[in-house]
Amino acid sequence: MTAWALLQASTPAMRHPAITAVAALYFIGVAVIGTWATRRTHSARDYFVAGQGIGIVTLAVAAMASTLSGFAFIGGPGLVYSAGIGAVFIVLSASITSTMQAWVLAKRMRLMGEARGLLTVPDAIAARFRSPAAQGLSAVAMLVAIIGYMATNFLALGLVIDAMFGTGLALGVWLAMGVTLSYTVAGGILAGIYTDLFEGIVKTAASVTVFVFVLRAGGGMAGITRAIAAVDTAFVGPWGKMPALAALSLFFVFALGSLGQPHIAHKFYMLKEPKRLKWYPALMGGAMALTLLLYVGVGLVMRALVATGAIPPLVRPDDATPAFVLGFTPSVVAGVVFAGVLAAGMSTVNSFMNIGAAALTHDLPRAFGRRVDDELRWGRVWTVVLSVAAAFVAQVSGTLVAFLGIFGYGLFAATLVPSLAVGLNWKGATREGAVASIATGLALTLALETLAYFKVFSLPAGVTVSGLALVLSLLVFFGVSWMTRERAAGQLDEDVRLVMDV
Amino acid sequence: MTSRSALRALASSCALVAAAYVLAFLPGGAPPSAAWGLVLGSAGALASLMALGAARAGRVRRGAVVACALTFVVVAAAFGAALLLPANEGPHAPLLLGLPVRTAIVIYGVGLVPLVFLPVIYALQFDADAPTDDELERIRRAARERDA
Repeated sequence: MTAWALLQASTPAMRHPAITAVAALYFIGVAVIGTWATRRTHSARDYFVAGQGIGIVTLAVAAMASTLSGFAFIGGPGLVYSAGIGAVFIVLSASITSTMQAWVLAKRMRLMGEARGLLTVPDAIAARFRSPAAQGLSAVAMLVAIIGYMATNFLALGLVIDAMFGTGLALGVWLAMGVTLSYTVAGGILAGIYTDLFEGIVKTAASVTVFVFVLRAGGGMAGITRAIAAVDTAFVGPWGKMPALAALSLFFVFALGSLGQPHIAHKFYMLKEPKRLKWYPALMGGAMALTLLLYVGVGLVMRALVATGAIPPLVRPDDATPAFVLGFTPSVVAGVVFAGVLAAGMSTVNSFMNIGAAALTHDLPRAFGRRVDDELRWGRVWTVVLSVAAAFVAQVSGTLVAFLGIFGYGLFAATLVPSLAVGLNWKGATREGAVASIATGLALTLALETLAYFKVFSLPAGVTVSGLALVLSLLVFFGVSWMTRERAAGQLDEDVRLVMDV
Repeated sequence: MTSRSALRALASSCALVAAAYVLAFLPGGAPPSAAWGLVLGSAGALASLMALGAARAGRVRRGAVVACALTFVVVAAAFGAALLLPANEGPHAPLLLGLPVRTAIVIYGVGLVPLVFLPVIYALQFDADAPTDDELERIRRAARERDA
């Protein structure tokens, strides 16, 4: 049996009229928003940065929706079910990252976007360092990660669509790609941002509702903890089943790495009024906290239910969410949750379609000193090409798709955090430091992840490739910038210097 | 506090994390000090990078300094307590808000407490930090001059 067939066979069927009806309603909502946005997309500026007309609530909820992919509803609870509290370290920094993004990235990206008419994250790096090489290299790193992320999400969406509508996995993957592509290619990021808002609301509603059922099924948090501790004390310990170093490493990567996620940073260009950023940390942080209740709660309660003998052990950890909502919530709630899973995947994929197309239409040509005449048309063309390529990768690569999805977050972090997050806030940084750190992050992540995947080499317990690559690319950035520090002042344009001063 | 001191703290924090990873390569695995390197390095990197971002013309305002210092203390203290306190997660162990004490300190301390004070301090500080109309005009003028 192939890996695909195994995946398909082990996904619980979700064909219940109420579930299918809620999912169908969700798709209708997405179609309405896509049609509305298409009529308002007239230029590359509309297509890539929503004409800089987005309000703060929309920005915050859309950023949350893009941050929390399908992993937050399926893979994450599965990881909590198998690794315990240690898996929560992936999302533990959500209480800090929204304020950190606001202070470190939001104001300066928004101002540079307005002053220079920037469209992409590599644009900001190029403007900061006056370096087409840094722009091109960061665009290449983003594209490598984007294809993997999109392929992984298409596969996850295909599984859910198959389980809901009985389409078969192959058709499910292409349907997921087709639906997301249709509103992205027509309405660009404007469609994306408003479907993200809609999808964010669905996700939050699903998460909060499920958490109520989690507490009811497990007898409250104390009941859940007591049931698990009776059979496995380490599971509910502060690091779960992981070594402390591994859990802390996850915290480091996901906390600092949040500043290098291009699909989030890119959204700061779209804000209509920079002074509204005042409420971004409260709105984004609150939305994240509510939407992560499902991530934490479902994995724990399923382990507690197994511990008390109420249910048999799960065949696969990733079945935690489907098994809980099908077994312990009304079918309408299950429908909202599965719509939330679809929402999670589609909102993330849509953002990647857009920034990937921008990298190909805008960043790479500029890195070679060229400009594309009709960026709107070519943006749409590249959106289609990227989406078809990612769906094809999802279909042909088997288990490799999981490998591609794993290193996406770490690759973004290792390549973009130094030059973007630190670079926008440190006048002493140099283009040599930026190029060296992006190259270090890209090379280290690809080399170490590939060697680990093929079992040629493995890191000691507790050390992750993403953590190592992130910290080394930061140190290279500091070191090379320090060695070339006499060039720093000459590499800063006056408008960029003013932005860095405010 | 200045941008320069925030930058030094950030570089030192990254060096601490790197040192923790290097210790893990030693024969026999990572010693307990490696976890402390990641605790202090992570908390320091978050707090100092926030301070660097909050700086205006090279200086970090008092409100932002308080926010960054609190973040460092909360994160380092919560993880540090989990490392220092004796393990007591058995079925009859005392619980704090439904979780074993060490776990509760980490989950509620790092996962929730910063959400209470960081957005509030950011909002209180925001008006003083927001660019003035004059500054915005200077940025736009400099961009226009560069394009011309």
